[in-house]
Amino acid sequence: MVQNFYLFQFGPDLMGSTTLSDEQVRFIESGVSISAASRDVRRVPSVSKVVACRVAADRRQVTILVDAAQAGQLLQDVAGSGSMAVVFCLPSSHRTLQLKGHDARQVPLADGDAELAERHRTAFADDLLPLGYALPFALATHGFQAERLRALSFTLSDLFEQTPGPNAGMRLEPEA
Amino acid sequence: MSGGPSLDAIRPCLEGAVPAAIATCDAAGTPNVTLVSQVHYVDPSHVALSFQFFNKTRENILANPQATVFLLHPQTSARYRLALLYRRTETEGPLFESMKAKLAGIASHTGMSGVFRLLGADVYQVLDIEHVVGEEVPPAQEAPCHIAGLSRLSQRLAGCTELASLFEQCLDGLAGFFAMPQAMILLLDPTGQKLYTVASHGYAQSGVGSEFPVGRGIIGVAAQFRTPIRIAHMASEYAYSRAIHEHLAETGVGDRLETEIAFPGLAEPHSQLSVPILAAGRLLGVLHVEHAEPHRFGYDEEDCLMGLASLLGASILALQQAADIPLEEGEGAPAPTPLLGVPLAVRYYPANSSVFLGEDYLIKGVAGAIFWRLLSLHVEEQRSEFSNRELRVDPALKLPELDDNLEARLILLQRRLAERSRDIILEKSGRGRLRLLLKRPVLLQEVAAR
Repeated sequence: MVQNFYLFQFGPDLMGSTTLSDEQVRFIESGVSISAASRDVRRVPSVSKVVACRVAADRRQVTILVDAAQAGQLLQDVAGSGSMAVVFCLPSSHRTLQLKGHDARQVPLADGDAELAERHRTAFADDLLPLGYALPFALATHGFQAERLRALSFTLSDLFEQTPGPNAGMRLEPEA
Repeated sequence: MSGGPSLDAIRPCLEGAVPAAIATCDAAGTPNVTLVSQVHYVDPSHVALSFQFFNKTRENILANPQATVFLLHPQTSARYRLALLYRRTETEGPLFESMKAKLAGIASHTGMSGVFRLLGADVYQVLDIEHVVGEEVPPAQEAPCHIAGLSRLSQRLAGCTELASLFEQCLDGLAGFFAMPQAMILLLDPTGQKLYTVASHGYAQSGVGSEFPVGRGIIGVAAQFRTPIRIAHMASEYAYSRAIHEHLAETGVGDRLETEIAFPGLAEPHSQLSVPILAAGRLLGVLHVEHAEPHRFGYDEEDCLMGLASLLGASILALQQAADIPLEEGEGAPAPTPLLGVPLAVRYYPANSSVFLGEDYLIKGVAGAIFWRLLSLHVEEQRSEFSNRELRVDPALKLPELDDNLEARLILLQRRLAERSRDIILEKSGRGRLRLLLKRPVLLQEVAAR
């Protein structure tokens, strides 16, 4: 139910890098709904659902998992442009974060990625059920086939807090 | 569009029950993805997104009109990817009002009232719809077959020979065939400024005779913009009482609404749907349904009611013409038998044509004037039978020669009398005919100034 609220951009710090806080890492690795976007050479956007996310210890390297059968164009566009935007939203709180990166690429799956996606699927259902949705529906939204999982990884370049609140509509993004 | 599903086939995805993801891209090639609560169905090849804030999505589509939306079916989890092209923004009119009302319901439901404010309806052409593979579940319940209900109800309406039964059959049919037990029909007052309730179903008090301002609340906006307005969650901005109070606060006493008769709506309608009744290019009134539970009315119900309202409109016009048959020679003058008992004082205030039975308010306006005329003729000329035609041309009433509302006003009057008096009965005695029956004598008092 979240729609285009205010944007707080957390730009690069003095060291020239954007990192996630521990709390933000916990949030995007929790039972959130995740969607990823890229674009082709003609700037036509592609978008797909994401079934899990993991963040490296440096809190800058973000990896998402998609089902290749659902995300063909996205995989192709990431390979072509390296550009990616990923939005994370927790249905129960509407809290929303968007992450962007310019060096996105497909990487090999890590051990345990299928289990990670399965855990994420259950965690998402746990958040959705109290809102009145049925369990089969909640699980189906994050359905995937393990053999079709692909991993896309990028270095965090921009971070936007897009949660609704009293400052809705204010755009606090600094001029780059 | 290519060979994917049609937009009509995936309308449940456009109810706002599950947020959609929209991806855009700026001129420099940086993609953006965000969630939207409302992807609104416009027609078979267009959708509209609500523009509430100037944000990155908005900035991007103005620079690069291509957008891609990912939708989930709210029951089956079927996935659809829509290729969109931004075409224009509408900041007023039927589409804007329809989205504004829907957004108010969503905002209220999510605790965002006052945060969500519609600035425009961004209209996108749908270039392609892709059914994305993935796990799906069977729908929890099959959608009801409204077209079968509409067919049966249309046959019943076609069998009606007078307006009162047309309204009754329509509202009974909504309850019986469509599980819409709370419904009402409002007709447009000749001033064009207000609607009056001529029939209702499912309320403790019928509210017949109550009035509602055009241009306010869900009913008034549906009338003003001649477009269906639907809300899936209770929204205080569209509360009936609020619309009426705001109207009263802004208008002079001369244009006041009927306020003695309470409007019949539910105190907390979580689902509401108002559709205009149109015929011969004119607005005749509004058909309104409501429900205590949220999300009861979707696009299918909206279409169904629009179809029903069209039938209703055409039937209203046809029956109004049929009702205008003059009395035969010698008809209309059977001598009433003398009545015994304590006379009932009937007071009439010509200033606003209001009528009181004893101390009880009955009605005002055109219906009040008609009632006073009928009573006067009854007392002065001992007549009990009257025709619509004679009322229409009666110089004492000064009705507009082509007042489509006469028959409806008479229905209103009959209904009010049935609800408020045991001593005076007004009934149909044939097509375009009325019979006035008194069970006790009346004492008529005309009060010059109130």
